[in-house]
Order: sequence, then structure tokens, then C-alpha cells
Amino acid sequence: MIRKPLVAACMAGLLALTTTAACSDGSGDGGEGGATALTYLVFETPSLDATFWDTSIAAASAEVPGVRIDKIVAPSTDRDAYAKQLQQSGQFPDLLQSITPSNFVGAGLLKPYDKTWIDANFLLPSANTLKGEVYIPPTNSQIVPQVYYNKELFAQAGVTAAPQNWAEFLDACAKLKAKGINPIELGGADPFAASMPLVGIVSADVLGKNKNWLQDRYAGRTAFADADMVTAVRKYRTLVDNGYFDKGALGVKYADSITRFTGGKSAMYPMGSWFLGSVPKEKADAFGSFPWPTDDGSVVVPFVGGGSMAISAKAEDTALAEKFGRAWSLNPANLKALIETDGAFPMIKNKTLADYGVTVTQVFEDSYAYVTQDNNKVSAIGWATNDDALPPGLNDAFYAAAQALFTSDDVEGELKKLDDAWKTAAQ
Amino acid sequence: MTRRHSGERGLALLAALALGLYLVFLVLPLLLSLRSSFTDENPLRATNDFVGLRNYTEMAGDDQLRASLVFTLTLAAGVTLAANALGVGFAILLDRTSLSYRVMRTLAFLPQVLSGVIVAFVWQTILTQNGLLNTALTTIGILDEPYPWLGSPTAALISICVVVTWVLSGFTTVVYLAALQSIPLELHDMASLDGVHGTQRFRTVTWPMIAPGTTISVTISLITVLKLYDIIAVLTGGGPANSTQSTALYIVKLAFTSDRVGYASAVAMLLLALSAVVALTVTGALRRREINL
Repeated sequence: MIRKPLVAACMAGLLALTTTAACSDGSGDGGEGGATALTYLVFETPSLDATFWDTSIAAASAEVPGVRIDKIVAPSTDRDAYAKQLQQSGQFPDLLQSITPSNFVGAGLLKPYDKTWIDANFLLPSANTLKGEVYIPPTNSQIVPQVYYNKELFAQAGVTAAPQNWAEFLDACAKLKAKGINPIELGGADPFAASMPLVGIVSADVLGKNKNWLQDRYAGRTAFADADMVTAVRKYRTLVDNGYFDKGALGVKYADSITRFTGGKSAMYPMGSWFLGSVPKEKADAFGSFPWPTDDGSVVVPFVGGGSMAISAKAEDTALAEKFGRAWSLNPANLKALIETDGAFPMIKNKTLADYGVTVTQVFEDSYAYVTQDNNKVSAIGWATNDDALPPGLNDAFYAAAQALFTSDDVEGELKKLDDAWKTAAQ
Repeated sequence: MTRRHSGERGLALLAALALGLYLVFLVLPLLLSLRSSFTDENPLRATNDFVGLRNYTEMAGDDQLRASLVFTLTLAAGVTLAANALGVGFAILLDRTSLSYRVMRTLAFLPQVLSGVIVAFVWQTILTQNGLLNTALTTIGILDEPYPWLGSPTAALISICVVVTWVLSGFTTVVYLAALQSIPLELHDMASLDGVHGTQRFRTVTWPMIAPGTTISVTISLITVLKLYDIIAVLTGGGPANSTQSTALYIVKLAFTSDRVGYASAVAMLLLALSAVVALTVTGALRRREINL
């Protein structure tokens, strides 16, 4: 007697829910108090955790009346791949944090920011320029990689100063190894971390001599098989052959590589400047940094214009989305958190580090100096998100080459694979 | 009559529902994927062109695909052998009726009910360079320095093999246990009377009688490994240097990293055909064995 009405009530409830869902057009209306809902794709790391995103979203939302942000967290740090999956299933987010715009611009999925606003607010307005437009405000920058070193281990091995060129670098490695100290830390189990020395070598030796190398590669004027590239990559093999990395480095996770280096297990650590957020505050003075060394000692800085979020051209209210993007990008509290936890170098005009109220280490200030100084800045291969971004799939191929070259001496073969992968990607 | 008709209608409704779900969630995606495999579909392009058999001919020269197939088939063979051998062994050990054995049966099945992602994360903490295994082995002096269990192509293959075998052995144990319990006790009694014990009894009585269980267990183990994605994605991500990249992992990378959904669909069709051929061949051979026994 009771069951039938109960079942009927449940069915009616389900039907009502289904009908409501079916009638919803997913346009983003229906936010609290008439606010427009925008979806925002973010990613989490140990530094940029859920609290950071929630706090930063709340702060920016407070400056943009009428917006409600629905956060979408990418399942891994590969937000490009996740954004593509969302696009494939018709759920492309309205705002996308730190994606590679070149992957999406060709499909007309992104809306550029107003250039007047970009020019007015950022130190390097063209840092993220893609075919003349800016899709991600260049709020901050990174050096990928720098070499961080442990001053105490250097002293133990009799290395009195940071290496200034390749010969001094090899000499330091040899002295460290002779003392039983692992010279270079490598988180080789994570492909992006495994590629750091190779990114440093190629950026410094090849792009340092030809800033347009990647544009030339797109135009077919250069190739990975070219002699200068082969010579550069052989330097990586020299480091491997001489035993300057831990033999089991390909089994070390990125997170473990940080703790191994900061815990004194290795003397040097080539990594993106986001590592600065992981330098232990209590012994920050024990660490120093230097640019990836070149043969002649000239300073080459592999540079990446980082930044905030891209706007979907498909967003229901692109003007509102841009307002939110601007508010988030210029919010000093967000930059403060990025500087302190992610080692981001701020690139907003008319502001000094002190203006953000941050407490930074000496090694941060020394590293930041390479950004503010007039020197040879080149795109960090595989990391640039501007016109020098690699075609889709090439980053993975580059990472795989870095891992393969750890165990194989076939430099020419691996570089040929990159040329083949480029050809396929460009088709 | 009315009640019987009503019952039949209910069953027909349930069957229609099941058929509908099968069509929508299996057959339709399969057909869409087949169609996609003849195009240059890209997730970021609104339109796609028909390219005929180009994706299929391209596979012949794809070194990464070849490597992923070799890895997948090697893993499938290794895991199927190991998981089934362990399954038979555990089933014989657990073929008792007391409470403690029933608890142990539940424990043996536990890996099978855990999510592959969770399993992989747990094993990652064990197998990484600073993981529990290296810490234990170096502490007790078996190893002088940590061994890269996930850091060399061969070691990573063996590590993945161990993890997947551990997961599947829960399933194979339960299948073989059910098969063992279906053997009539009289057969064992007769064997005892004939003086047949131990290994000889296993070879002449137990092994032939659990043949149907072997067919099910081997076939499902093979299919599970041929389409394996989650455990490898978390444990090694296909590395080092793509050496542990299963074909399923390669398909996802092609589709969402290289933006080649059309080609990825063609590779998926190849994997489907390969799985079907392997499963049908093995099932056929094992069924013939059942009859011959």
C-alpha cells in the first residue's frame, strides 16, 4: 500500500530533476542572485593548492560584480590536454589558467585581451604575443631552467664560486663527484623534469646563438638534425656518461627531486624558477643560482612569459570574462602568493617587490636580477607559450628524447625522431 | 495468464533497457570511432576531411605504435601467466571452509575491488627511488644504493607486471576457487583410494576439472591487460622514454596531446581487432582443451 505511492513520488521527483536538467541550456545563467556563471579551468600543485585558487577567485570576484566562478580543476598539471577533452565533449571552459594559447587559437577558441590594457599594465607586453595578439596577460615570468646549487656542498668539494662557463661547470661536477657528492639532481621519472638539462643546453647553446631558431624551424630553415643541435645535445650525454646524475635518476619523481636537493643529496638542480618557492626559508642562504652555462661564458636566460588566464571566445559573456581575467591578473594578493609559493617574477608596471609586501630570499632576488637586467633572453624551448611554442605533441616528444638520451647514446637518432614528430605535427 | 504476460512484459522491458544501454554506450561510440578513423578529426577543428585508409596505412610505419603493441602483448602474456599461476596456487591454499580462510579469501579479492588509480598511487610510493622498497632493501643491506624500479625500461616493465598481476590475482583466485569447489568430492575420494596424491592428483584430477575456470580466467586476464590504461598512466606515465607506453595510453596521447583523434581512432580499431583475435583464439584453444580433457 505504501510502496506504490512512494515509488510514484520517487519517479516524479526523478522526472522533475531530469526535465529541469534537460531544459537547462547550460548557458551559465542562473547564478546566485542573477550573477552570470563562468567556468574557470585551474590546476593544482603543491604550491598552487585549492586554498590559493579559492582565495584568488574570491578576491577577483569581489572586484567584478555580477560574476560567479565555477572552478574546474584539471586532473593533472597538463591543463592543455584536459581543455582539449572538455572541448571535445562540448564543455570548453570560459576561462583557462596558464594554457598554451597556440594549441587553441587556430581553432578560434580564444579571445585576445585588449592590447591597450596590456600595454598599460605590463613590463613586457609582448612576452606572450602570438601572431600579434595577447591571449594571456604577462603578469609574471619564469626562467626555465636556472641551475640552483648548494653552497655548502660546493665548499666541501673545493668549488669556490658558481661556474661561469661550460668548462667550469664540468670541473665543478668532477670535483663534486670525486668527493662522493652527486653533482646534479634530476627528477627523471616525470618527463618535464627529466627534460630540464636538455632545455637548458638547447636554449643556451642553440637559441642563445639564434633567437629565431624556432621560427626558422617552422619555416623549415633549421632542423633538430643540424650540426649545432647535435653538438649541444652531445653535452647532455657528456653529463650522463661522466656519471654526473644519479644512476637511478629516471626513477626519481619531481617532488622527490626537490626534497633530495634541498636535503643535501645533490649539489646542483636545474629547474624552472618555480623551485624558488620550495627553497626552505630557514636555510635559504645555503642556496645560490646561476644561468645554464655556455661555452664562452656569455649569459643566456631561457625565459618564459608566464601569466594568468585565457578567455574562451565561446564564453557567453566574453566582456565579463575579460573583466574577471583583468581583475585576477592585477590583484596584488594573487601576485604575492605566486611570488612567494611559485617563484614567479612579477612583471606588472610601476611596482617593486616591496609593493607586494612579499618576503623573498636572497636566491630569489639574485634570480630575479637576471629578469630585470639587460641580457640575452631567449625562449625556453618547450616552455614558451608565444610564437615560439612547439607544435602539439612536440613537448611530449622532447621529454621522451630527454629520457631516452639518459640511457641511449643515439643522439642523431633521437633528434631525427623530433624532426619526424615535427613533420607529423605540422601536417 | 495476465500475471505471466505482465512478467514477460517486464522482462522484455528490462531486456530492451539493457539493449538500449548497450547500443548507446558501446555500439554507437564504436561506430562513431570507426567513422572517425577514416577522417583527419582534430578536437580543435570544427570540420574534418575524409582521408580514406590513410590512417590505417600510416600505422605500418609508426614506430611508437609498434613499440606500444610489443609492450602491451609482452605485458599481457606475462601478467596472464603469472596471475593465473598465482590464482591456482592461492585457490588451492584457500579451498577450506573455516572462518579464517573465508576472511583470507576476502583479502585475496581486495586488490580487484580497488580503483586502478589508487592501486598505482600506492605502488608508486613503494617503487619510486625514495620509496618503501628501496628504503627497506638499503636499510637491511641487500642493496648498496636504491634501485630504479620504475627508472629503466626493463625494470619498469617488470614492476608494472608485478602490480597488474597483484591486482588480477584477486580475480583469478576467486574464479579458480569456484572451479575447485565444483569438483565432485567423489573424484577426490576415488583418487585417494587409488593412491593418487599430491602433484599427481593435481595433474590428473584437479587441473582437468578446473579447465572451464581456466578458460574464463585466462581470457578475462588477457582482455584486461590488452586495454590497460589507468595503472600505467599513474605509475609510469608510459615512461621512461615511452618504454612502458601501452597502446591504450598511446591512443589517449594521440587524441588529446597530438590532436590526432582520427588517427587515434584508427589505432583504437586496431587494438579492438587485436583484442578480439587474441581473445577468440585463446578461448577457442582452451575450449578445445576442455573437450579433449
